[in-house]
Amino acid sequence: MVLQGAALSSSPVGFLEKRRRAIGKAAAPYILILPSLLLSLWIIGYPIFDLTDMSLHTVTRFGQLKDFSGLANFSNLLAEPLFLECLIRTLVWTFAVVGGTALLSLPIALILSEDFVGRHIARIIIMLPWAVSLTMSGIVWRWAMNGQSGMLNATLYDLGLMKEPIAWLATAGTAFPVEIAIGIVVSIPFSVTVFLGGLSSLPTEIYEAARIDGAGGWQRWRFLTLPLIRPFINIVLVLNFIYVFNSFPLIWVMTQGDPANSTDILVTWLYKLAFRYGKLDVASALSIVMFLILLASTMVYVALAMRNERETA
Amino acid sequence: MSRASRSVVYWAILSPLIIVILFPFAVMISTAIRPRAEILVFPPVWIPNEIRLQNFVDMWRAVEFGQALVNTVLVSAGATALCLLIAIPAAYATSRMAFRGQRLFRQFLLVTQMLSPIVLVLGIFRLMVKMGLVDQLYALVLCYAAFNLAFAVWMLQAYFRTIPIELEEAATLDGASAFQRLWMIFLPLATPALGVTATFVFIYCWNEFVLALTLLRSNQNFTLTFQIFSLVGGRYAIEWDNVMAATLVACVPVAIVFAKLQRYLVSGLALGAVK
Repeated sequence: MVLQGAALSSSPVGFLEKRRRAIGKAAAPYILILPSLLLSLWIIGYPIFDLTDMSLHTVTRFGQLKDFSGLANFSNLLAEPLFLECLIRTLVWTFAVVGGTALLSLPIALILSEDFVGRHIARIIIMLPWAVSLTMSGIVWRWAMNGQSGMLNATLYDLGLMKEPIAWLATAGTAFPVEIAIGIVVSIPFSVTVFLGGLSSLPTEIYEAARIDGAGGWQRWRFLTLPLIRPFINIVLVLNFIYVFNSFPLIWVMTQGDPANSTDILVTWLYKLAFRYGKLDVASALSIVMFLILLASTMVYVALAMRNERETA
Repeated sequence: MSRASRSVVYWAILSPLIIVILFPFAVMISTAIRPRAEILVFPPVWIPNEIRLQNFVDMWRAVEFGQALVNTVLVSAGATALCLLIAIPAAYATSRMAFRGQRLFRQFLLVTQMLSPIVLVLGIFRLMVKMGLVDQLYALVLCYAAFNLAFAVWMLQAYFRTIPIELEEAATLDGASAFQRLWMIFLPLATPALGVTATFVFIYCWNEFVLALTLLRSNQNFTLTFQIFSLVGGRYAIEWDNVMAATLVACVPVAIVFAKLQRYLVSGLALGAVK
């Protein structure tokens, strides 16, 4: 910046050349970000535009746009009996997985942040589910919970915890809770990692001070640790909300939303609407609704992140 | 509490979760090594009568693992290269230069980062139909690069900020152009960050499911994840020994790399907000 100022005030001979350079300098960042803008607008932006366009028109099952239909697709979406069902299940799925993950991850992170024998191994094991793709996890669990030959039934039977084999994923009452449980297990590693990062950033002096003042373990946790890692908890809740809300492979691989749509959440139903039932207009309306929900959550996240940045700055 | 007793208590608290986490791995291994006659039996046992490593060889052929592996490597490498090629200049701009609209650009990235392909999958499918790219691996390369762009830029700019600017300033005084500074001074210093970012993008591509499911049609184009899924989805008789052997072979290398690098991941995922 200082150099640029000096350049402009120097001899008139090099003025044009320097001016050209200054313009080049001003344009440089835009040229550098241009390719990323173009790729995003092409692969992500255009589909959003196309979906919006579709959601406002009557669309044949072959994808041809007919008459402009205003918000008819959206009211058709609301009229679909499965919409409300899937929405409620999505909320149950999202809040159960996000809440369960946070409740389990905090104590785990607290334990892992302390010194004990084999801590390194414990950390690696807890992080393992993160390293395996959701699709693969889903496939293995689906086999493990097979009614006849699955190892889960066999193990529970051997331990005397079960008398009759259960077809976990083929029964409406058990399939969804089981999927929620697995959803929690695979979400723990990310949350624990963020919490561990948060815990390691806490200043140790105040703990010394609190100890000298006679604060017990619970008090230190309640009045020091918890308020200090609150920003990290917020971040984990919002990010997990977004990930879990969008999570498709686990449910698709284990049950495809069945038996009888009893495990369908919005994303799996959306996929069926678009690629099985051929209801492209309703599917596009649902895509837009979900896009708006995500946009709103992202704004919450941005607000939280900015507040953190201000607080830590 | 002494360290020893604390250790016992902690392990006891963690043990239920540890069992649940290790359980699928045990199932995978136990199924992958048993002869087919011992798969669909009731009640099943953990340790088969015969340990059959030949399964892995049979699986390789039956699953057409080689072809799927080649497809996956091509797509993942192509997408990673494209993604970094585009993300590096953008990250350089956002970490080194002040410009109007920078905040807007960062927020734009954040929104694309939060969007999962599943929400837009119908629109993406239609786009690829229009471009004639359905059932082509290029379609996946483009999509994977686009959906990882925000992550790569955030990850890189966080590292770029830690590289001291003095070297570049010195190079400017010596008359180096912006491009020379980037290429000859900056990138060599940023190699570790590039490596970590590339690895995560690569793993994302390796594991991706929804887009492969939607955009690929013919078997010879399937990626590994999708190929293994296709052995399970919509088949009447599932050969679980093959499926588990394939899952094991597909997971383990990625799991090892990931386990080594996962601590770097948070800075990228938490988008610089968690410090």
